[in-house]
Amino acid sequence: MSTATTTPVVHRKKVDWTKQALRAWAVLMYLFLFLPILWIVAFSFNTGRLLTVWNGFGFEGYQALFNNPAPREAVVVSLIVGVLSAIIATVLGSLAGVALARRPGKWTIVFLVFVALILVTPEIVDAIALLPWYVQLGQGWNLTIFNNGYVRLIVSHAIFSTAVVTLIVRARLSGIDEALEEAASDLYATPTKRFTQITFPLMLPAVLAGGLLAFTLSLDNTVISSFVSIQGTTPWPVYVFASVKTSLRPDIASISTLMFILTVLAISLVAVVLKRGGDSSGDIAATMTGTG
Amino acid sequence: MAMDTAEAVDTGSAAPSPRPGGSKRRIQAPKYALAIPAWTLFILFFALPVGLVLLYSLGEQVSAFVQKPNVSPSVWSFDNFGKAIDPAYMPIFWRTLKIATIGTFICLIISLPFAYWMATKASPRWRGVLLGLVLVPFWTNFLVRTIGWQIILAPNGLVSGWLQDLGLRDAPLALLYTQSGVQLGVVYNYLPLMILPLYVAFERIDPALTEASKDLGANRFKTFVQVTMPLAVPGAIAGMLLVFIPLMGDYITPSILGGSAGSMAGTLVAEQFLTTFNWSKGAAMAVIMIGFILGALLVFAILGLLLRTILRGRRRVRLPEASA
Repeated sequence: MSTATTTPVVHRKKVDWTKQALRAWAVLMYLFLFLPILWIVAFSFNTGRLLTVWNGFGFEGYQALFNNPAPREAVVVSLIVGVLSAIIATVLGSLAGVALARRPGKWTIVFLVFVALILVTPEIVDAIALLPWYVQLGQGWNLTIFNNGYVRLIVSHAIFSTAVVTLIVRARLSGIDEALEEAASDLYATPTKRFTQITFPLMLPAVLAGGLLAFTLSLDNTVISSFVSIQGTTPWPVYVFASVKTSLRPDIASISTLMFILTVLAISLVAVVLKRGGDSSGDIAATMTGTG
Repeated sequence: MAMDTAEAVDTGSAAPSPRPGGSKRRIQAPKYALAIPAWTLFILFFALPVGLVLLYSLGEQVSAFVQKPNVSPSVWSFDNFGKAIDPAYMPIFWRTLKIATIGTFICLIISLPFAYWMATKASPRWRGVLLGLVLVPFWTNFLVRTIGWQIILAPNGLVSGWLQDLGLRDAPLALLYTQSGVQLGVVYNYLPLMILPLYVAFERIDPALTEASKDLGANRFKTFVQVTMPLAVPGAIAGMLLVFIPLMGDYITPSILGGSAGSMAGTLVAEQFLTTFNWSKGAAMAVIMIGFILGALLVFAILGLLLRTILRGRRRVRLPEASA
């Protein structure tokens, strides 16, 4: 926006103290934001028996991870649950998003209030609500499928992921003129063709981004998971949470570091997909916090 | 605008006027048809379970060994609420409210200059990277970040070590398992939820508006207070809600950094479900926690409206010709 750079007269620029102060503050904020993450990564190379006491540099933490089947199994459970709940959330959320953007009506408000309530309810409330509910379904009403740890985790994670995907897809389609799709119909496209050749390609970036976000949301979920999971299907955050309460070993930092890398990869992918879909950085931020 | 046309087109096609002599009437799917699977999921696994919590809060514990309470209408009472507001628990609810309120305001104050800098002062070329650097901690597992603080705050950890090196303290400082430790932890954990909406709000402000303000003779400070800040208020409100509500129900931060001195409502509720197995009492505590959240939001909303009225009254410019 500024055109000041074209000024031909060369003179010493006055130091903008406000800007310098703001920049210094930003540096401090970034240090604060990354401090515990750097600490965890550093301490994953700690050789001591206790996580909190630095002993020396080494890979014992990572070795322990590979020698002990429990954390490995926990990661596998997390990945299975993450993929399956993301698929459910992507399908249900995309359908709901299309309906919200293209078939608005009185129902839209009720549905959006529902979505907002799901996103805003503290996780602990969902957790204590779902635990008795699964017990009631599985043991009270003999729907034994809900005694399965995987089913419980997948369904629980799919709830809020579906809400997130719904909002992302709706936002994407609302920003695209329906005239494009109407033109397809005018040119004798069948409803199926209209969807597969016009609507779906247009909403695809949102669907992909939503699916990846759903996957990471599931991968990271701790509170609900630690209430609804049962022995044998412990996802990795629940394994870590349980370990923190008993003993803090360096391999906790190692598994955390590995999962951190996985999450960063998934999120970078989301950003790339959204960027290619034409979103500005502000739109991406809004999408990723669910405030869009 | 796209929505309007969609609606107009829709009412045309979705509700065909029934022709008097028409023999074949196509049955139209309702508008929400595509959303039915999501509806089903939300009702079966959100609305009904949360409803069940309300029901449980009215029931009574059968015995110390049975988790499922008796919820037949004949035993319904508010006894559980009486037990939940016991002097043993009430201070924890108030402490939760205090930690959440202070935490929300600290987040707001430290995020404001940062988000403003990122959205307006930082080079646009780097904005994506700068934003990404905020998203990384946000998407790092909540539990992992908290464990990071556990290591840092431990008596032999970083903070305590620095303070001793600087000669500010001669003995290890125990920030871990205190209320201050929890306060620091929640500010850290919810900070990105304040930064991002504020950033979005600042980024969407049209630069023409601030330029106009400067052209009309306002200095930078006046422009910031009277033009930029009011436009960022929706972002600030969104951020405060996004921080305050989950913070009130936080369970992980207090259980890792708090110990018994820093426990919060979330830990209290979880304890009833996971260790004491008194689901009725736990349900009542959860209802009280939600009551605290809604009550606090109501108070904040009223205070916010009052503040706005006062500020508007002070800012009003009286132009003699405006009344004509």
